[in-house]
Amino acid sequence: MYLLEQLVNGICQGSIYALMAIGYAVIYGVVGLVTFTYGEIIMMGSFSAFYYFIIFGDNLVFALIAGFITAAVVGIVVHKVCYQRFLDAPRYISLICTIGMSMFLKNFATIVFGSEMKGMPAFMSGKYIELGSIRIAYMQLLIIGVVIVLSLLLTVYLKNTRMGMKLRAVSQDKKAAALVGINVKTTTLIGNCIGCGLGGVAGVLLGIYYNSVLPTMGGMAGLKAFSAMVLGGLGSIGGAAVGGTLIGIVENLGIAVTSSGLRDVFAFLLLVIILVVKPQGLFGKKGN
Amino acid sequence: MLKKILVIVLCLAMLVGVFAACSDKAEDNQEPGATAAPEENTEPIKIGVAAPITDKWAEYGKGFEVATQMAADKINGAGGINGRMIELVVMDSKGDPKEATDIARRFTEDEDIIAVVGDFSSTCCMATAPIYTEAKMVQLSPTASHPDYAGMSEYMFGVMGRQDAEGPFVAKYLANKYLGSEKLAVLYLNNDWGVAAHTNILKGAEEIGLEVVALENFVDGEKDFTATLTKIRQTNPDTLCLVMFYNEVSIISKQIAQMGWDVQVCALGPGTSEQIIELGGEDVEGLATSTPFYVTEEDPVAWEFKTEFESKAGFTLNVHSACAYDALTMVAKAIENLGDNVNREDVAAQLAGMKDFVGITGPIVFTADGDVFRKYKIAQIENGEWIQMTDYDYAD
Repeated sequence: MYLLEQLVNGICQGSIYALMAIGYAVIYGVVGLVTFTYGEIIMMGSFSAFYYFIIFGDNLVFALIAGFITAAVVGIVVHKVCYQRFLDAPRYISLICTIGMSMFLKNFATIVFGSEMKGMPAFMSGKYIELGSIRIAYMQLLIIGVVIVLSLLLTVYLKNTRMGMKLRAVSQDKKAAALVGINVKTTTLIGNCIGCGLGGVAGVLLGIYYNSVLPTMGGMAGLKAFSAMVLGGLGSIGGAAVGGTLIGIVENLGIAVTSSGLRDVFAFLLLVIILVVKPQGLFGKKGN
Repeated sequence: MLKKILVIVLCLAMLVGVFAACSDKAEDNQEPGATAAPEENTEPIKIGVAAPITDKWAEYGKGFEVATQMAADKINGAGGINGRMIELVVMDSKGDPKEATDIARRFTEDEDIIAVVGDFSSTCCMATAPIYTEAKMVQLSPTASHPDYAGMSEYMFGVMGRQDAEGPFVAKYLANKYLGSEKLAVLYLNNDWGVAAHTNILKGAEEIGLEVVALENFVDGEKDFTATLTKIRQTNPDTLCLVMFYNEVSIISKQIAQMGWDVQVCALGPGTSEQIIELGGEDVEGLATSTPFYVTEEDPVAWEFKTEFESKAGFTLNVHSACAYDALTMVAKAIENLGDNVNREDVAAQLAGMKDFVGITGPIVFTADGDVFRKYKIAQIENGEWIQMTDYDYAD
């Protein structure tokens, strides 16, 4: 019973990781590159919600939208600075550029927002469902719900719309996509914005779940998102979702049997084990 | 062309950002003009202050900065140390031992700096102790309370009190006598201080037969306590004792409320921090903590200090800032006692021999190790404000 409750905690945290990883997978798909700015984009999403709550009051839906828009706008800047000019250049140039951008955003946030921790308002505090002896907080259900809805929306968007088809085409092969008349630059930009926006929403959820925001919160978040995506298979959106959830569950069950100090040990141990057994990730394609 | 200009502007913006982040240090680093005139001896006496002014312990660090400056201003206003003014060299350690050791090297290399007040955390103080000891320079920490810290060398001092006094007080009087706890759970921050503090709580609990049903820890930087709290709730304690500082205390209080768990919470470490109330809001209502110092209107000198501090700092006085004020005053007094022969090495002996010092936080006489045993009060949050609940005689 007790482990079931920890499983719920794990799924909840895992669903936030999953959303981050899905955003990362979209970016990796269309841009074709690993980005190191993602953690800071998550942080920016978190901060936009924090300021939204201060200025406009506690409306969660609009805060999530604010997080999406802010992160997408930062995504445009990242795209213009780090990717657009280097699409045909060696890959490491963009890569280094995203590292620089990540440092810039972190320091920028420290100067503008201040380095101290800020508290997020609590939503549905103290309300929970009791199933036998398991407690599930409304907050947790809400987070899981938001992530599921967004994942479904993204799937529908990618599968059933013209833009989604373009995005998938660019993910598969940029040159071939250009040959059939797709504007690769614009499509990449839009894909990058969507990925960053999802990261921003994940940032808002993270802030609410942890009750705090910090300029330095992006580092570990970005690393977890990246790990979750690699775990699921590079660029596979479904894989990223599964990978994120798995990491969350393993972390929380790990804490349940040992201590919270070992949280990251479990997360990364899982990553290493899966990569040793299945180097392409859980759902990755071989020989890519 | 336009794009090129844009790129250049963005690059410049990045550079400015990076330099702005470092600018505080650059200023501190500037050596004063090399036109020293030792014969006259009217040049200022420099005292280093190392404090976590930014990052996770910023409230305490800013308190250090304001309080030490207040102490320096007061001494300078009364004519300084034997006619020489005090000049503080304040550096930001961010609560990071790596930064703290860098600062220690810079302080010890600057020959004009006579002694150092700082740092905040026991970990930082213990990391820098060998560096200061080698330079025979006093490090008087306002807050380090690890029982091993002051004993590390004859140049290490602390005024906060020791964990082997506060830990047992928390178990016996705060948890058991005041809150009526019979089944205690302890959650501590896993660093030097947290380990020392919680072992002493356990010791105190064992002495009075208070049952400790859960003992959990976390590493610095942890934000999600749901799994740990679920684990602790399973053992069904009536009181949860948090051994950590204000950020984590408020996050945990919120997460406890979020999971709908009704448990009495007490804390060792944060003191009467205003940030707890700011960050925790309604969810920290009823939180009780031990503190070696709490100002009431009955003490006019301390009350005046509190009012002045609050107008300068912009937040409520906490014990850590009061200790910083006393620490600087003590160092200044020790240097004054040296007369014309101001040197680093002799400050330690002067501090150790000081018997009649009475500061804002009460009389301070160092033990053989160089720290202090203190008595404690209990404060609790009521209607969004810290209220003193018991006085020093509660433990008698």
